[in-house]
Amino acid sequence: MPHLRITFTPHPVATKTADELRAYVEGNDPVSGKPMMKEIVDDLTVPLNAEETKTGMVNVSVGPENYGPDTPRNLQQFYHDNGMTDFLPIILPTEEMVDEMLAGTSHRPDEVVGKMAAGAYPPWGYTVKQVAINAVMAGCKPEYFPTILAIASSGTPSLFSSTNSFAYAAVINGPIRDKLNMNYGIGALGPFAQPNAAIGRAWTLLSKNLGNGGVPGDTYMGSQGNNLNYNNLVIAENEGASPWVPFHAQKGFKAEENVVSLFRGLGIVPGQGARGTSTDTPKYEEQFSDLFSVFTGFFGGLVVADPLIAVNLKARGYDTKEKLIEWLYKNTTQTVKDYKSRDFAYGFDYPRALKGLEPYATWYNMKDDEVIPRWPHMNDINIVVAGGQTNAFFQGGSLSYGVSVSIDRWT
Amino acid sequence: MNRRKMLSLLGISPALLAGATVDASSKNPKTAARVAPAKITALNPKGLPPPVQLVPMAPRLASLDGKTIFLVSDGFPGADHFLAQVALWFQKNMPSVKTEYRLKAGAFADDDPKLNAEIKASGNAVIMAIGH
Repeated sequence: MPHLRITFTPHPVATKTADELRAYVEGNDPVSGKPMMKEIVDDLTVPLNAEETKTGMVNVSVGPENYGPDTPRNLQQFYHDNGMTDFLPIILPTEEMVDEMLAGTSHRPDEVVGKMAAGAYPPWGYTVKQVAINAVMAGCKPEYFPTILAIASSGTPSLFSSTNSFAYAAVINGPIRDKLNMNYGIGALGPFAQPNAAIGRAWTLLSKNLGNGGVPGDTYMGSQGNNLNYNNLVIAENEGASPWVPFHAQKGFKAEENVVSLFRGLGIVPGQGARGTSTDTPKYEEQFSDLFSVFTGFFGGLVVADPLIAVNLKARGYDTKEKLIEWLYKNTTQTVKDYKSRDFAYGFDYPRALKGLEPYATWYNMKDDEVIPRWPHMNDINIVVAGGQTNAFFQGGSLSYGVSVSIDRWT
Repeated sequence: MNRRKMLSLLGISPALLAGATVDASSKNPKTAARVAPAKITALNPKGLPPPVQLVPMAPRLASLDGKTIFLVSDGFPGADHFLAQVALWFQKNMPSVKTEYRLKAGAFADDDPKLNAEIKASGNAVIMAIGH
């Protein structure tokens, strides 16, 4: 419905008093600058123009197959000016560079990889070659390409239209971590290895260019944006130093398989400095729970623990991730009153409760002072091990697990 | 003897050792010819947008006088309070307009056929508060 008549109101509307909302209604549309209610009344009464009565299908052009010939400097600027980059320098995707990237997979260049939508928009499709173009731009080597194809095939964008500024994470498991020289040791989550950096960056570029995401004011409305969107949170699990089953094996894959698992949420925060790290009996599970208690339960909880913590927890009886997850689920709680006060509960869970979906229907019928879990389900909590064992630190993410995709399928 | 002087005596440019590049464009234009940068062609990184289905808008009302307008929230936080102010605005400025507030069932993008049927049967227009 490209001609839908839309009027914008200032945000936020939640938390505003009646007087403030009245001022919104009596004020102007912040996008058009026109009086809001006059615009709404006009929307309902001004006769339709010819465009608004058209039917049929319209093809959308995204430009020519290539740009140039021009100087590299001019082309760099052209790609920036036309919203095709993350505004950092790119590797210009020449036919030669893209051919080299395509050598990283056995799949045909014209094979359709999948579809992606940046929210409530019609999804765009893309081929292996189009993914390769974006991989080149991000600075990827051909050997990274199957991982990027796996991410692209999931249809999961790393940029989403919500006024929330979502963050995304990719957990990578399997022998490919070593084959690509991924960093899962010291500084695992930092800018210290080309595959970690470039694979994450490619995800954002393909979300923009192949999924039509990240157009501020159009397909991206995140109020503050999220710095993690530059190259996302790429986590190669430190499988060798972890005492637990690797993440992909928890999801049903074999340990020798190469898998990327994707998460979406609000971000991640460090947990170090909390009580316990320097004591004889650090209770890391309590620290995880404390950190989770400030998160909305709408997104899952993701712990990224240094191997030192994982080894300590195993020695204290948590011989599987599942045991630790069960403890966290049972001991990270909230009152019904706190739960109902959360915007996400009101916006997403309450309508589900009205439809009778559980546990929301039950939670909305409980008394305010009753205690409920922070998450609807135990599998909303996930644990990954990464880090270089220079200290017993962890990070806690408000991040929901979405999907795991085989990388091997795209070699 | 300082390092720069020693390198000069050895016939080595200090600038070369420091990693400086020889760039025609950085030389004095009066003494060096400019080398035009090579031009290249780069591929379009965009995907394949689907054709857009044009849905004709419903005919507009000649006037809102005496009409019933449904004010529908998709459940976005605060939309109910916002629409309450919209209802008050009509009460004050267009009192012949009757408004009916409804919360659409389901998550933001879910359809609510029951509500749609009610609006078709007893409403003349809809203002939908869509939060995202």
